[in-house]
Amino acid sequence: MGTRERRERSNESDRSLLTLFYNAAFEFLGVKGDKGVALAAVGGYGRGELSPGSDLDILILHQGQFDTEKLGAFVNAVLYPLWDTNTVDHSVRTRNESAKTSASDLKVALGLLDIRCVAGDADLVASVARDSVESWHKNSRARLPELRASMSARYERAGELAYLLEPDIKEARGGLRDITALRAIALSGTVPVPLERISWAESTLNNLREALHSVTGRNKDRLLFQEQDKVARALGYADADAMMSEVAQAARLVDYLLEYTWHLLDHKGRDGLMRFFRKPRRVSVAQGISVISNEISIDPPVSFEKDPLIGLRAAATAAQLGLPIALESCALITESLINGTGVLPTPWPREARENLTSLIGAGESMVRIFETLDQEEIIFSWIPEWRPLRSLAQRNALHRHTVDRHMVETAVCAAKLTRKVHRPDLLLFAALFHDIGKGSDEDHSDRGERLIAPLAERIGFSAPDVITLQILVKHHLLLSATATRRDLDDPATIASIIDVIPDLNTLELLHALSVADGEATGSAGWSDWKASLVNDLVQRVRRTMSGSMIAEQPALTDEQLVQAQSGILTVVLEKHTSGYSIEIVSPDKPGLLSLVAGVLNTSRLDVKSARTKSHGPSAVMYWIVSPEPHAPEITQVGLRNEIVKAFEDSTLIEEKLLARAKAYASIPSIPVPDPEVVFFNDAATDATVIEVRSHDRPGLLFRIGSAITHAKVDIRSAIVTTLGAEAIDTLYVTELNGGPLSDIRAQEVTSQLRLALK
Amino acid sequence: MKLITAILKPFKLEDVKNALQAHGVTGMTVSEASGFGRQKGHTEVYRGAEYTVDLVPKVRLEVLADDADADSVVDVIVKAASTGSIGDGKVWTTPVDQVVRVRTGERGSDAI
Repeated sequence: MGTRERRERSNESDRSLLTLFYNAAFEFLGVKGDKGVALAAVGGYGRGELSPGSDLDILILHQGQFDTEKLGAFVNAVLYPLWDTNTVDHSVRTRNESAKTSASDLKVALGLLDIRCVAGDADLVASVARDSVESWHKNSRARLPELRASMSARYERAGELAYLLEPDIKEARGGLRDITALRAIALSGTVPVPLERISWAESTLNNLREALHSVTGRNKDRLLFQEQDKVARALGYADADAMMSEVAQAARLVDYLLEYTWHLLDHKGRDGLMRFFRKPRRVSVAQGISVISNEISIDPPVSFEKDPLIGLRAAATAAQLGLPIALESCALITESLINGTGVLPTPWPREARENLTSLIGAGESMVRIFETLDQEEIIFSWIPEWRPLRSLAQRNALHRHTVDRHMVETAVCAAKLTRKVHRPDLLLFAALFHDIGKGSDEDHSDRGERLIAPLAERIGFSAPDVITLQILVKHHLLLSATATRRDLDDPATIASIIDVIPDLNTLELLHALSVADGEATGSAGWSDWKASLVNDLVQRVRRTMSGSMIAEQPALTDEQLVQAQSGILTVVLEKHTSGYSIEIVSPDKPGLLSLVAGVLNTSRLDVKSARTKSHGPSAVMYWIVSPEPHAPEITQVGLRNEIVKAFEDSTLIEEKLLARAKAYASIPSIPVPDPEVVFFNDAATDATVIEVRSHDRPGLLFRIGSAITHAKVDIRSAIVTTLGAEAIDTLYVTELNGGPLSDIRAQEVTSQLRLALK
Repeated sequence: MKLITAILKPFKLEDVKNALQAHGVTGMTVSEASGFGRQKGHTEVYRGAEYTVDLVPKVRLEVLADDADADSVVDVIVKAASTGSIGDGKVWTTPVDQVVRVRTGERGSDAI
């Protein structure tokens, strides 16, 4: 089975048709040469690709010079002998009729793009071929959307080839019809299509179709479960799993190239006025990364040696902005990984880990970026553990995706739950790798627990975080299994969970992971019914567990305590590889947190974390910040001056922030869950704790601080953490004259905060 | 013939299934269900937010049996499903006019 056999089959049909054509032409039309009448192959037969059950798509061309009766007799004489052995799909047209039909029928237009002369007047066939390509090219603006709409309708009917248990190799998304569509787009000449990259996928799928036809003796293209073993044997695969894995890989490649091609078409010439100057508009969005023509591009000249994280930063930025990475930039990253300059250091620095978290946490838009990283072989260099899971088939009715795609889908579901947990980074990471142990005979949870540890260490998680991740991976099925199979009224059931889940934080993470995993599995494995059982179990365990999940107030050093007593503004700036640490001791005043946050933001510094605490007449603040792209160099004195200016007139800061927010509004964004604002009056004796969990964005902390100040509440201490694209801020607040807020006041303040963050 | 319907605690399904198989019952239908009987929905307070659990998750099991076997099948289910606490569920039987095995067209007891 292979291209040669399919070509041979096609040649054999050509030979039969040739004889039939000339005999019939002589007998019924009185034509002895090859003028004015021809027999052409179109569609798959036109390409010389015939599987045993393929239809023979034939077009008989003439110039309208024959009597209808004679022409009918001629056609019958050519076709009748074929009907015993082949399914024939034929049409009889003149050149003009072909052009007209092709203009109104997309299927005919696509078939004619592959027209090939089998017998008769080759010039006549060549003229129809020329007409077809010219018309397709000329009318591409109307025809390509028509093609796309027909493909969407087909996807709706046939589903995705890569993930179906019993896919249709021809009709499903990523199947053979999509390859034909890619060729058609290439022929339209509107955008470059990397056709050279689909040959492997095309031959894989064609071989499969040929084997399916041979094994079943039918011309059906749906690969039924019961036939997969036989087809795999015929093609020499180790087993049906291996075959389905390769099918998935081929389909994903086709789909990836098609999606990218549609994106290029969508954004062709959409750079506003600048397109008249033939210079695409460039918007800088991260260090060394810009948006050009609605794609994420790495800025030239790029030095991966100096900045090996740029590839990961590009991926994270692309996912967070919902844009694809330009193929040229992908090629740069791949090259840097091959020549070693772009290899990430071990352990990964904080910025790399944060970028990975931002990438995983981007929700739906992450799927396309992860697919790019897979297809461009980038992810396997960053995370070699991903390769054995690539397109790993799960041929059962429970799962709807391959292992790798299931984990990506779990991360997408987990991204919706990041507001529900205190460590979104651990949730997202565990979601993306929870099935890392699959692909061997060993229990995948046990194997996963073993495999996740070195991976998490290499990515730079702390030792306690690695242990948490191990627990999450090892026990990712524990809650749903226990909830559905054990008596929740039995104290032993609750005790069995507490035995392996050490604290509330881990329980919270495991609950979110169970939900994400269940939702990603689909309706066969998850339902509201199951969710309510799991929720019941978690609430019961939670009531039995002790401890708190709220970040504790920061402790001050002796030196800081002395400085705080002085009540003088001091700023100490220290430069690090990826940013600055800044210690500020300032006279305490209402709105201090938002003012300092505002100054940092207008100085184009991103707040990564902060710890602030009031003591005596002062507040002690410790900030970790990283500069935005093209941010001016800051100095200790300069920063102190900016803070003093802000103290004198805070409206300046507000105006600058407003202007910045306007500038950011023009950059694309992705949908994110609403911020979560909750208060606890039982977490501290002298203060009310307000927790804000939100997608990180410029000026977030300024808005929070500002809303709190407007509510006439004092911030005693704050713990600000950014994990990838997520921010978790814990504020210990009191009334201006001291003491925690009443429940009603706390509700008012949290409502105002929610409004301010909308 | 009788249709035996049982509403059970989810975690008891495995025990009931094994007991029925040991008793010679070869086929059953299981579905997810929610509801309440004497074990009403309850209200929980979690960090100040009150939510009501109206319906309790259960499983619904259905078995077809000959009239002569129905009582013993019910006994097997009740015995295996019992924990002695509230919310253990219910079992009931309903008369069935006709049963047809789709594949063979067999009817009545032969189709069970």
